[in-house]
Order: sequence, then structure tokens, then C-alpha cells
Amino acid sequence: MIFNELILPVLLVTVVLVVGAYLVAVIDEVIAGALGRPSGAGAWMAPLAQGAWLLNQQANATEAPDWRAWRLAPALYLALAAIGLAVVPFSPTLIATDLVTSVVLWGSVEALATVVIFLHGWSANTLLALIGAYRYVALGLSYILISMFVLIGVALPAESLQFSQVVASQEELWNVIRQPLGLPLFLIVGLGMTFWGPLNLADSRDLAGGTASAVSGPPRLVWNLARAAMLVAFSGAAASAFLGGWLGPWLPGPVWMLLKMLAVLAVLLLIGRLMPRVQPERCVTLMWVVFLPLSFVDLIWAGVEALW
Amino acid sequence: MELLTLFFIVLIAAGLGLLIQWLPMRHQPMPTYPQRAPFLGGGLPETHAWNRYHTRYYPMTILLIAFEMEMMFMYPWAVVFVEQGMKAVMEMGMFLAILSVGIVYGWREGVFKWQ
Amino acid sequence: MAVSWLQRLAARASVPVFPVRGMHGEEVLYRLALTPGVELVDSPRHASILLVAGGVPPDQYGALRRVHDQLPAPFATLWYRSQPLDELASATRIDDPDVLSGALKAMHHELMCGKRGSSPRLLPDEPPNPWEGLGDDGHGGEGMMGGVPYGRPMAMNMHDDIRDGLTLDSLTVTLGPFLPMLPPGLSVEVTLQGDLIQTWTTRDPPYPIALESVFFQALQGPVPIAELERAMARYHLKHLYFALRLAGLEALALTALRLAFESHSNPKRVATLRRRLVRSGFFGLTTTGQGRLDEETARRVGGVAARAAGLEEDWRSEDEGYRQLGFRPLTQRQGDTGARWRQTLAEVEQSLQLAAQAEQDATHTRHSDGVETPRGTWHRQWPEDQSTLLDDLLPGLEWDEALSTLASLDLVPLSPWSLEEASGAPVAQAIAEERRA
Repeated sequence: MIFNELILPVLLVTVVLVVGAYLVAVIDEVIAGALGRPSGAGAWMAPLAQGAWLLNQQANATEAPDWRAWRLAPALYLALAAIGLAVVPFSPTLIATDLVTSVVLWGSVEALATVVIFLHGWSANTLLALIGAYRYVALGLSYILISMFVLIGVALPAESLQFSQVVASQEELWNVIRQPLGLPLFLIVGLGMTFWGPLNLADSRDLAGGTASAVSGPPRLVWNLARAAMLVAFSGAAASAFLGGWLGPWLPGPVWMLLKMLAVLAVLLLIGRLMPRVQPERCVTLMWVVFLPLSFVDLIWAGVEALW
Repeated sequence: MELLTLFFIVLIAAGLGLLIQWLPMRHQPMPTYPQRAPFLGGGLPETHAWNRYHTRYYPMTILLIAFEMEMMFMYPWAVVFVEQGMKAVMEMGMFLAILSVGIVYGWREGVFKWQ
Repeated sequence: MAVSWLQRLAARASVPVFPVRGMHGEEVLYRLALTPGVELVDSPRHASILLVAGGVPPDQYGALRRVHDQLPAPFATLWYRSQPLDELASATRIDDPDVLSGALKAMHHELMCGKRGSSPRLLPDEPPNPWEGLGDDGHGGEGMMGGVPYGRPMAMNMHDDIRDGLTLDSLTVTLGPFLPMLPPGLSVEVTLQGDLIQTWTTRDPPYPIALESVFFQALQGPVPIAELERAMARYHLKHLYFALRLAGLEALALTALRLAFESHSNPKRVATLRRRLVRSGFFGLTTTGQGRLDEETARRVGGVAARAAGLEEDWRSEDEGYRQLGFRPLTQRQGDTGARWRQTLAEVEQSLQLAAQAEQDATHTRHSDGVETPRGTWHRQWPEDQSTLLDDLLPGLEWDEALSTLASLDLVPLSPWSLEEASGAPVAQAIAEERRA
């Protein structure tokens, strides 16, 4: 009883998050190498070595940070990633927490992520981090609606706000085909939630690392870990909402799920390396004027399709 | 029970995040003041960075509130959608159409620009 | 203490290096960017080695000390063709670019394994302003106003905003001379309201940049056009590398840099690079028509910036040798950031084509009273520092816009030394003396 309800879910989430975050770093390293970055220690070793270096490095401080918020922000971001992953179903029975409102909960994770990322930049009390924080809020407030509409779109045919029901509703046809606009739009949300690649408005190079520009050592390690973990959690949500989650022939459900998550991660990391950072103003305009109307179209498409 | 499990997951993840920070940092001395100064490539600020910040996308944030209110209705609507059939499509279609006009109007007024 | 497995693991990490870009230190950083196992980072907080590449004028030692002290322990310093600060007399100095990356790796390894102590702090451990123990938080004033809470005053509003006229707080900071997003040596005082630049005052101009010696020889007598054009292409590709890296396109930035280091790159590969840039969205997503130069300013800047604004200013059209090759200057019309990059790419392609042509016929330049350098025409007087025009150009731009505009503009003065003979120190001294005068 205790094992099934408590220990198993906690173990599942922790292991997938940590191993997943490590794999994110490895895949990213491999992609960077394939695209021409000179690679040093080897992709499997590099993330571990960098993590060890960060554990050995002194944690930096700023003159007058908001200490509690500054140290809490990376931990809370990690916790949000854990919540996100907790509602992702790996099989009809293997779900950390099978809430009936898990889609709504996922939405709240996205909203809170904006708060936590802002807090990380703001609490350092330095110029470059502060600009990164406020810039991220512009992005966070823009992608959240797209995500909501797209996720409601997958809830329509399932007649439920539960991820496991959403997966079950894709028995005949995966949502990625049924609602062709959904997954591309949702991938944009994923890049936004983790400020990855083209949507890296928070920790960008023009801000010398933005919200992370003043952190070093262990807090930076947790921040990087949380960011990669959030990408893993997102890939879980994307795989269950659009790629049919555990559904698939021959292999057992959880294996299918993990394969699909890896596929989503690979696509996201590839986009991250191939596109330039979008200018903040252009980003907000694109989100509201192009992608949000597209998500309306996606929702109406999903609705009409569900009634067919 | 589900919520209790979720609570434990949050607790453990956040605890892990804090522990990874706290364990190596226990014995580290406080950095010196010059180290703590904001990095500006050798330059210095005159003041603290916290200020009444000019968030230049403020009209967009107000537009967002209109949409966020709508989301409250959309969640229950999504569950009963198939039951209600075409009626639900029409209702939401109208709702979205009105909001779309709002976006177009806002765009024309430049609310997505940095003020 | 025995070396723990964690430290041994950390020693195997790729070496995070924060480069302080001194005078004529750029070249070695390009080489490091292509070296496996070395990572050039943007913030000293993310580095374990401070690499001072090239000479630093003595009047900027203060800024150098501040950056030095901002690296978290354990860290070390390495001085490449640069005189270590007096306090760090025992620090390692290296003048040979070939052994630099090995030295960096060895240094990181020693640091991690505890064989080398961390570099000492240079500045006294004092808050920027003395603590004033008044008020709830010891800030010495009433409420949140006045005094110096935690060592600095709070931001106070000075001006109405230049875009929408709202009266919110402004921040005034000095940036540089070692900010990695600015040209090396450029130091400015900036006032920001939100992320919008209100005022931009250039304090110290960027360091002069060294050209390859062929440009100097062109002023003495005829030189092979092929050599001149390849040098031109190399210069522009290195400039492009910096901007692409800033825009978050690391892979394409490295492609540009590799092209720069090839002795005989094919113009077709530049065309491929341009296509990949267009496809990645570089022109569509990172430029928004900002940074437009008017005709007079464009003429003053010269070179690519002038031609991107539609001015057919090119010394090469005066030269018989170039005319033989059918050279005609390319131009763009808009004169903004995007146009400058389109112009740069077009010119690199043109240069490589000219070089290939000139090699077949062994064409030489004819006139030697002037030469077209990558920075503009060198005729009677050489291109000078133009960084003060930023003071008028950048206010009103958002931070990202301002920095991408800055990256697209080449405003640096030319060094009296060529790339082959520049060793840093004498120029650094000369600059410092010139400033004092």
C-alpha cells in the first residue's frame, strides 16, 4: 500500500527526472558536436564532469540579494518539473499521481514556472539578471495561452482533463495526426518553459547569462538541472498529449513512452541549436499575432473533429 | 491520497534542490564584497538594480487577463463538449471570434510593442 | 587532503575560460573557440580561469582588478602576451599561442586536484559604501529613500522615459571595458529605464584592431589582389563569428570561423552559409530594421556600413588591377543591421571570387597611395575610431536591439601594427599615454 501509493511514485519521478536531465545534456552535447562544435571529454562524460566542477566551485553571492528567493528559485523550478512529470502516465497503471484534473495542473505548472524564473533573475539584484527576468515574463505571459488552447484541444475528444484519458482517447489515431497544428504549437511552449534555444530570453548571451549570470557553483548546478528536468517533464506531457503516450505495438507501454519522450527531446534540442534567439519584441508579437490565432484554429479543428 | 503523493513529490524535489545547494556550501566562506559586485565587464553601477522597473509590455499583460478569465470557462466546457455537440462549438466559436477581434484591435494599437 | 573522486571528475571537465579581451588578443581567442576541451564563457561567475589575452592599458587596471575578483574560487589567471598585474607577479604568462590551450587545461586540472591554490583577491573586502546603521534595514535614510541601504543608494528617477514619457526609475551603470558583448576595450556609461537605453555615453574607445600585413604592404607597392581579398574575407568572417555567437547561433558562428581559418575557402561555401543563415531565421527573427545609419554617418563610418547604406564608396574601384577583374562595388539600400549583414556576406563571397580570379592571372594592385581595408578606405588618413556615433544611435533601442546593432557595426580604430608584428604591450602603453595627453 505505502509502496504503491508513495514510494513507487516518488522513485519513478525522481529517477526519470535525474536520468532524463542527464540524457538531455548528453543529447545536446551530441547535437552540438554533430553541428561542428569541437568536443572535448566525450558526450557521456562531459555533463558529469561539469556537474562535478560546479559542486567544487564556490557559490557566488551578490551585494544584497533576496537570499531566500535566490536559493529557493532553482529548487522550486526543480519541484515544478517534478509536479509536471508526476501527472504524466507511463502506462494505464503506472502513473505517479493520476489526478482527474491533471491537464489543469500542468497548466498551473506553466504559469508558476514564469514566477520562479522571474524570481531567479530578480532576487539577484544585478542589472543583467534583472533584465533577463523581466524579459522572460513577457515571454511567459505570451506562451501560456497558446499552451492552454492546445491542451484543451486534446481534452475535447477525451472528454476529460486527465492525461491518462487523453492517451486512451488516441487509441485509434494519435493527436499528432488528428490535430496537426497541436504538436508544433506545443513544442514552442516547451522551448518557452525552459527558455531554450530561440526562446532563451532569460539566460541569453547578450546578458552574459541573464538570470544565471550572477550564480555559480551548486546553485547554478541546480538551476541547470532543473531546466533540463523541466524539458524532460515537458517531453512527457507532449508525448502523452500528442504521440499517444504508452500506446504502440510489440513493446511494453512504458518503453514506448520513454522512446517518444526521447524523440520529443531530440527535436527540441535540435531546434535549440539551429535557430537564433528571437528578439523580445518580435517574440511577443509572433506569439500573439501568429501562434495564438493558430491555436484558436487548432481548437476549433479539434472540436469539429471530435464531433465528426 | 493522490494529492498527498503529489505533496511528497514536491517536497522531495524541492528538498533535493536545496540539499544539493546546501551540502557543498556549508563550509564555504562568504564571498568578498568586490566579488559580490554586479558583473558589468569591469564597470560599476551607481545604485542597486532593484527599481520601479519600466515593464514595456504592460498593455499585453492587461490583454492577457481577459484571456485568462476565459480559460476558467474553457476547462468545464472541454469536458462536456462532446455531449453538448454543435451548440458548444458555436458558443466557443463566437467567444473566440470576439477575442480575436480584440487581438487584431490591440495589434493595430501597438500593444505588442515595447512602449 | 586526498583528492576526492569528485575533484578528479571535475578536472576532466572542459575548461571554462573567461577571456578579458585586451589589445590584439582576439586572434588567440578565435583559435581557442575551435579548440576542443576549452569553453569561452560570458560571465566570470561561470569560469575557472581568467585569461587576459593581449595588453591592457594601465588606466584600465582598476577594471581588470574588479573582473579578476569576480571569479568564484577556486580560479587561476593566465596572461597571454600581457604583463601580469604587479600583485600577481608570479602568475603564468604565455606568449606562444600553440601551447596556450594545453596550459589552460593543465591549469584547470591542477586547480581541481588542489595542486594549485586559487588566485588571491586583489581588492579590499569592503562594501562599496560604508554601512549606515539607521532605519529598519540600516539604510541611513527615511523609508526606502535616501542613505545607502546595503552599501548603495536605491535607484531614483531622474528623467521621463524617451518612448512613452512615463516617470519610472532609471539605472545608470558603467559597462566595460571587458564586457564580452561589447567590442574589446569599449567602456560606456549607460542609463537604462526598463530594458530601454536612455543615454549612451562612450567613455573609452575600443582598442585598435590589427590588420594583416598585406594591407600595409599595399601602401608601399603592388601586392597580389588574391592575398588582399582573402585577408579581407577572413576579417569579415571573424566579425560575423562574434555576431552569430551573440545571436545564439553557435554552430553557424563556428562554421564562419572555420571558413576564416581556411587558406583557400571556396566562395560556394559562403553562399551555403548565407542560405543556412536565412533559413535559420537570422534575418527575420533577430533584426527588426533597427540601427539605420543616415548617409552622412554611414560615410563617416565607411566600409561595409557605408555600402550597406547605398554609398558606392570603395577604393577598389579606383584601382586598375581591380577594374581588370571586373570589380564593381556591391551595395544595399536600407543601411540597417540586417542590411549590414547581407552586405558583409555578399562582400565575403565577392572577395573570395575575386581572389580566385586574381590567382589565375596573378593580378596585382596598381595604385599604392591607398587601400580598401575591411574597415573602410585607407587613403591619406586611415579609418579612425567612430564609437562616439553610438551615443546618438543607440538611445531609444531595447537592450537586445542595441547589442545586435552594435555587433553589426565595425567602428574600431586600426592599429599602427600589423597582425603579424603586434605583440600587445607597446600599443597598450601608447594608448594609455595618448589618453593621458
